[in-house]
Amino acid sequence: MTELLAAFARLAPVMVWAAIATALTMAGAVVLERAEFGVHQALDRSLQRRYRPLVHGALEGDDTARDELRRAPARHRITIAWMLIEPLIADRDPARIVKTREIVQAMSLFPTADRYLRSRMWWRRARSLRALGLIQATDHTPQLVAALDDPHPDVRAAALDGLTDMHDVTALEAIVLRLHDTSLHRGRRGAALKVFGSACEPLLLELSARDPANRLNYIHALAICGTARSRRVLCDWTRDTRLEVRATAFEALAYVGLDDESARVAIEALESDDAPVRAMAAFALRGWQGPGNAAARLAPHLDDTWTVAVRAARTLQSMGPAGSAELQARASRPEIGGLLARQMLWQPGAQS
Amino acid sequence: MGNLFIAFSLLITAYFVFWNVSQIAMSPLAIGTLWRHRLRNTRRARGLASGVAVPRFVSIVAPAYNEELTIVESLRALLAVDYQPREIVIVNDGSTDGTLAVMQKTFQLVPAPVAFDQPLHSAPVRGIYRSVSEPDLVVIDKHNGGSKADAANAGINAASGVLVLVIDADTILEADALGRAVLPFLEDPATVAVGANVGIANGCRIEHGRVTEVALPGSWLARFQIVEYIRAFLLFRLACASQNAVVLISGAFGLFRRDAVIAVGGYDRTAIGEDIDLTIRLQRHFRARGEPIRIGFDPNPLCWTQAPEDWQSLRSQRYRWRRGLLQSLWRYRRMIGNPRFGKVGLFPLPYIALFEGLGPLVEVGGLVVTIVAASLGYLEWKYCGMMIAVSVLFGVAVTLLAVLLNDVTSRRYMRAGDLALLLAVASLESFGYRQLNSLWGCVGTVQALSGKRGWGSMKRKTFRT
Repeated sequence: MTELLAAFARLAPVMVWAAIATALTMAGAVVLERAEFGVHQALDRSLQRRYRPLVHGALEGDDTARDELRRAPARHRITIAWMLIEPLIADRDPARIVKTREIVQAMSLFPTADRYLRSRMWWRRARSLRALGLIQATDHTPQLVAALDDPHPDVRAAALDGLTDMHDVTALEAIVLRLHDTSLHRGRRGAALKVFGSACEPLLLELSARDPANRLNYIHALAICGTARSRRVLCDWTRDTRLEVRATAFEALAYVGLDDESARVAIEALESDDAPVRAMAAFALRGWQGPGNAAARLAPHLDDTWTVAVRAARTLQSMGPAGSAELQARASRPEIGGLLARQMLWQPGAQS
Repeated sequence: MGNLFIAFSLLITAYFVFWNVSQIAMSPLAIGTLWRHRLRNTRRARGLASGVAVPRFVSIVAPAYNEELTIVESLRALLAVDYQPREIVIVNDGSTDGTLAVMQKTFQLVPAPVAFDQPLHSAPVRGIYRSVSEPDLVVIDKHNGGSKADAANAGINAASGVLVLVIDADTILEADALGRAVLPFLEDPATVAVGANVGIANGCRIEHGRVTEVALPGSWLARFQIVEYIRAFLLFRLACASQNAVVLISGAFGLFRRDAVIAVGGYDRTAIGEDIDLTIRLQRHFRARGEPIRIGFDPNPLCWTQAPEDWQSLRSQRYRWRRGLLQSLWRYRRMIGNPRFGKVGLFPLPYIALFEGLGPLVEVGGLVVTIVAASLGYLEWKYCGMMIAVSVLFGVAVTLLAVLLNDVTSRRYMRAGDLALLLAVASLESFGYRQLNSLWGCVGTVQALSGKRGWGSMKRKTFRT
């Protein structure tokens, strides 16, 4: 034990000094890091002061300002590029996008973007993809599509963001084909389709006819981009053998909107043996005031399974006088249907 | 006998060196996570989160018990959250002060005859109120269930969102908190929960429910807690997050998938540390079934909470934390070191058991034994001093490392004076305050072993405006 203590005695001063040195290094690192941040901020402010007016001038068509930006030192160009491009995240004015693209071209920044696309550092690839999308550099669409298969998930996400901003119809097929690609962010896949609106509907319908295994994904997509044109197909899918597909098809019909025929299908489905189908059929009928006496057929479902009852109640609330009459008729009952009816009748009044 | 004393003292010193060095060794993982988070959390990505088309995507559930002084300020902050697809569910957990009355008066609450499914068990609900002035506000008035878990369950039952954000009623959210926290759910369908860094609001200026000026508080007790929070959130938890092995989402801010919480039976009303209990239960539930699970962690402070500034409240809080930790470790002891639960079983849980579970006992025991050994002449005083110095100084280094990470992440304390003071507090925290905490940890252990329950009390202050 004495040897152990002696060993400790030899080691302890080293450890104490190591601990003190580590602590002092950390404290020094905090100070240095803050100083570096201050210098960086000051430099950034100075660049902003110097180039911001030139950026504004160039965007307003001032050729002198554009020339000055073109002559800016290479080390300042990325900062200038970001000054130009970042506002495009919020401001998608087509004229501004075109002007920004022209200035970026004049500053010879595309070779830099290409270099970044080949970079081993994923954040550089991602940044370049986002920038190219924001300025709608459509000649780079193939690179953005190729980046959807990048090994890094954030680069794939940036490629999808870029394609969403690019709004280039030549990329539509690539996006639709990746509808089932779970390696891409779910929300971004939806957002990328949404930007094309109904333009992608024919392609979705064509692909869905050939690919029934992924029908559920197409239904989700049609719920985003579908129009009246999808109604017939969605009605067909409400007879699919898979419960989830049937229920989701009704959900999509709710977004696409009903006509007399699809409303008839939804009203019939209220009598389905499957609660999810009844719930989504009730959901699809929201706002429907056409033929079929939907309100009267929905009202008994206020006492159905909770998921069906809630949707039936909300749909009745949206059906105008016919729905209100059915709710009034049930509002005095003590069961859950009565409670729901009272709640639906109370909500519009309380919030008005 | 002397040898025994010396061996024990050396063992304790080695334990502390290993603990602190292991935390320093975790820093590359933590820095990697911070770096990746900074690059990923772009404005574009946050835009995606706020563009969710579901009307009430997130339900904010805030249990409130005797929060009369702070509830209006807290609620205003919640209503001002920069995220539209949300509703706010306040659960008045049988408050005995004017919490409900203040809300009724300020937000024009009216009774709502609403019916809703209640899959989670909670004490009976007395009434549900909707606000005429704030349509997205729901207030649940219920009998006191004796725990935050019970109130949170009642709120989750009433929530209509896909996600539920469970926070303390006195939590002040950052304006973009929800946009940031929702993002992992959109990016990875396996995400069931997201936790976040929590800032201490003591000393900060609060205006219209927002922290508008961050400053260090005047109280040393609150200052010590600030560095304590920074160390807790930015080293071990970030390292766990980098390995998808988060086992604790702070009760102050936890965003959960509602169906996942219901699947595991909600908050356990018998759990003292309901937050760690739920997080570990989620991990166990999904991993035992071989289902994918991700629990995210945002290193930025997404919310602010009030730290106790008096000894009694702090002591009572620490006793409870300790009892909660030990209860959870005991409940989920079969997960510790069990490869069936993946990295969660192999890394964070054994680490917590070894260092958080045993730490206070070892620290107090080691200190006593070392000093007794020196007093009895078994150990020279210089060795005694060296042992204590090695243990404490590495602790200081770890805390300063956490302060560095904090500054890189959020630059919360922008004034040079505050930063200097923070460095001083970080250096002093290991001399006395930490040992006192360990002592409270020992008392908490005794309480846990003797089966003591209850929350204790905390004195509330109004926020500085």
